[in-house]
Amino acid sequence: MDGPFTDAVMTTLEKFYEGLEQFLPNLLAALVIIAIGWLVAWVLKRLIRRALVLARFDQFCDTTGASQVLARADIRAAPSECAGRFAFWIVFISFLMIGLSALNVGVIDRLIAEFFMYLPKIFAALLILFVGFLIGNFLSRAALLAAVNANMPSPRAISLVVKFLIAILAFAMALEQLEIATSIVTAAFIIAFGAVMLGLALAFGLGGRDVARRVLEKQFLEKKEQEPDEFSHI
Amino acid sequence: MAENDWLPEPLREQLKVIGEVDILVGIPSFNSAQTIGHVVRAVQAGFAKYFPRERTLLINSDGGSTDGTPEVVRSASINDYHTILATHPLRPVHKIITPYHGIPGKGSALRLVFGVARELKAKACAVVDSDLRSITPEWIDLLISPVYREGFDFVAPLYHRHKYDGTITNSIVYPLTRALYGKRVRQPIGGDFGFSGRLAEHYLAHDVWHTDVARFGIDIWMTTMAITGGFKICQSFLGAKIHAAKDPGADLSAMLMQVVSSVFSLMEAHEEHWKRVRGSQPVPTFGFEYTVGLEPIRVNVDRMVQIFRTGLRELGPLWETILTPETFREIKRIGHTDENSFRYPSSLWVRTIYDYAVAYHKALINREHLLKSLMPLYLGRIASFVLETPEADADEVERLLEDLCQEYERMKPYLIQQWES
Repeated sequence: MDGPFTDAVMTTLEKFYEGLEQFLPNLLAALVIIAIGWLVAWVLKRLIRRALVLARFDQFCDTTGASQVLARADIRAAPSECAGRFAFWIVFISFLMIGLSALNVGVIDRLIAEFFMYLPKIFAALLILFVGFLIGNFLSRAALLAAVNANMPSPRAISLVVKFLIAILAFAMALEQLEIATSIVTAAFIIAFGAVMLGLALAFGLGGRDVARRVLEKQFLEKKEQEPDEFSHI
Repeated sequence: MAENDWLPEPLREQLKVIGEVDILVGIPSFNSAQTIGHVVRAVQAGFAKYFPRERTLLINSDGGSTDGTPEVVRSASINDYHTILATHPLRPVHKIITPYHGIPGKGSALRLVFGVARELKAKACAVVDSDLRSITPEWIDLLISPVYREGFDFVAPLYHRHKYDGTITNSIVYPLTRALYGKRVRQPIGGDFGFSGRLAEHYLAHDVWHTDVARFGIDIWMTTMAITGGFKICQSFLGAKIHAAKDPGADLSAMLMQVVSSVFSLMEAHEEHWKRVRGSQPVPTFGFEYTVGLEPIRVNVDRMVQIFRTGLRELGPLWETILTPETFREIKRIGHTDENSFRYPSSLWVRTIYDYAVAYHKALINREHLLKSLMPLYLGRIASFVLETPEADADEVERLLEDLCQEYERMKPYLIQQWES
């Protein structure tokens, strides 16, 4: 049965065997790294959750309104739990990438290198969004309280405009950080921001001319007519 | 001397020359040129009429006025003591005009007065506001004599006021302070006080001069520290309190926030003290009390109720976080009654304030937001009070206030229970 065909088959099988011999330890190493990664990520998740509970992070999120943002996004878990899960997935994905790189596959190596170079930008973008949500929530609540206490019309609308503008700003900054179509995002932000302002101006000046008059009259004329209370509160 | 190192050097030089005094009156000021001259003359007349043999000092602690307040103080004097039925003082009346340093505010100004009192070993002191129009020489006697002659350490003022005046004091500060600390000090944030040198030392021993006490919370802080420190407390009836008209644009919401935050902060600092106190005792009162007829005044109840209803509509979710479910349910119920039958019952109001105190203590939401969200509820309560008492005279209003105070005292176990939960 000796012949060129048999040689070719045998050579291929030998090469496959050699390849398998080289690959299997790499695969095993990758699986071990991933398993260790899962374990490390799980321990870290527990540690972070415990530390945040001790640091009263959940109460802090309640105070700043971050919990309400999570609730509105239908995330029912406590903020400390969310932070723990987030850390788990970041660590686990990092170990997964390291594990995959142990396979010594050129394409995967390139992708992993790119992933690690991109990771800080993802962090920065997430941080910008989180801080943006916190600031937006805080300022919109401050605007709502000020508008209610000043007896202004439509306090909710004022508060929503504040929140919306800050959300747009945070979103645009996050996208710019991720370098996703930077010039388009910047242009889109300017256009969107300008459009909101122009829209408000048009709505107030043309579409809602009568409403605008009534609101302004209520704010200024009626206020002048309404004499202040004659007693001292303090 | 080392304890008073923080006093400005030129002032310390002046104090060295004076040596010691028996009586000291401090006037904190900031841009009060229009009114302070009258206050200074009233103090000088008070010294001449009631303390002619004592060594006296008037000190003006100024916050950097730009309207010539120090010059007015310097030039103000009594030309003819005979017209005020007093003899010329037998001993010189010292007068010091000095700027204070530190955080701008009445607290920093009074810290300097306390420091001078300690330096000069003053036996009895008083502080009076610089914008008073109704101060008379008798005020000095009424604020100083209980300390100087009767051995008291703290004299709170007692004013004759319109039945609707001082609504923050009447609905929150007085009944809450009384229920917490057990002393019936009717004007705990009156602004004009008498105190002993011993109490001035006690005030200086507390390092609060970089907090809100230095800015706006000094009045309630002085009263609370005097009570919790176990000092002998009384009050003096001073008559009407009329002061320069405040800026009409002054933000009520900010004022309410400052006053309530001062009281709530003190609750945290003196938790162990007030938890032990049950009931309340009256404090001795000096002076000749009288009442006068009530002038009808303008009160815009509709606007107050409107703000309350807007608050209920817009701040409902926020109130739900702050208040207990039972309190919030009741507030929702009264929000749906019609204009004329609108009532905010005392028991509900007390629960509201106690819930806010607990929410402040637990920092359930940002504290500034928390306190600002109280404003529509406060206006609702005031509107209800005005609707309940259109024909009531001062005595009747005082009786209603007494009922409210007793409600605060009765519900104190509820406060403690919520505080500790």
